[in-house]
Amino acid sequence: MTRFLAPVLAVLAGLIVGIGSALLVLGNGQLLGRSEKDYWFGNKNAGAAAADPYTRGIVANIGLLAMNRNESVYFHRYKDDHGAPLHEGCVYEMKGGKLPARWWSVTIYAADEFLPMNKDQASSLDATRIAGQADGTWTARLADDQAGAANWISTRSAGTFSLSLRMYNPEDAARDDPMSIDYPSLKLLSCTGGST
Amino acid sequence: MNRIGKLFALALLVAVAAHLATVLAAPYVLMNAAMKRISKDGTKINQWIHAPPTTEQSRRVVRPSPDIAYSACVYDLAAGPIHVTAAPWGDYLSVSVFGQNSDNIYVVDDRQSPQGMDLLIVRKGAPHPPGAAVVVESPSRRGIVLQRRLAPTQERWDAADAARRHDICGPLKG
Repeated sequence: MTRFLAPVLAVLAGLIVGIGSALLVLGNGQLLGRSEKDYWFGNKNAGAAAADPYTRGIVANIGLLAMNRNESVYFHRYKDDHGAPLHEGCVYEMKGGKLPARWWSVTIYAADEFLPMNKDQASSLDATRIAGQADGTWTARLADDQAGAANWISTRSAGTFSLSLRMYNPEDAARDDPMSIDYPSLKLLSCTGGST
Repeated sequence: MNRIGKLFALALLVAVAAHLATVLAAPYVLMNAAMKRISKDGTKINQWIHAPPTTEQSRRVVRPSPDIAYSACVYDLAAGPIHVTAAPWGDYLSVSVFGQNSDNIYVVDDRQSPQGMDLLIVRKGAPHPPGAAVVVESPSRRGIVLQRRLAPTQERWDAADAARRHDICGPLKG
């Protein structure tokens, strides 16, 4: 009996390890990064035919139907400026300036890759609505309440969340060298149950 | 190699094969799931589906933007070329075509085509219909066409919704 059972168990173990490890890789959007700066990361081959199987699989999982680099630049971040995961219940301050694209936006996503389940209608900032200074710099509040902020992304019901930066019709330099972009910073101000 | 060693090698071989097969299959599985959702279980093929404003309830495709008016068309080239049009828009507009493996095989925006988009999708290697200005060859029989119109406010979204009402995604006529 053992003579036949052992190979079957070996095959089963191989299937579990092989499929499980693949799902872990594909489900971890942070593994997409080939270019990373200030905790923003992306991959120039996202959406492109030149993408390797892992890039294609991760993009299909976290950014299906993303356009290729000629049309848009997508970057994501899962951490604040000190490398800590982003959590609902904390207050963050994002600071940025003019981004090198015809249009840009920053959008919040919950761990399930969709907008957080709240009715605040404050899931994104975008170039057409951002309130900033004359020199193009701006500041935004990421928290579960607006607290009078001119620019606000609601983190209510977001759990552990991430942010996506879209830049449509990027300038040539930004498309060719995403490391040249001055990405928005994200500073943790405080968290419920303690201050930082 | 003893028996334990052979069993370990077998498990390792299966693990590597299963890992690679899963990674390679994932884009197809996820695209098929998206096509099924967008086409309402295959009942809305070769036609634009104009999505309502993106909210927390929008769950058809991951990471949607609340600033974009999306229209999607699941195409099937089994019966021949598909004709796609998009009316001009006074702001960012793009039409992108995706193959069944999720690759973005074509994209055009309003800067390149300010008068709107008018293109045909054919199967790769198939003859191009005469007179067509833009022909996109798809490596797969099925896929998705996605239209994005920048519309970050309700007023702009209403205008985008009106602009796209007569857009075409359907079998080539004539």
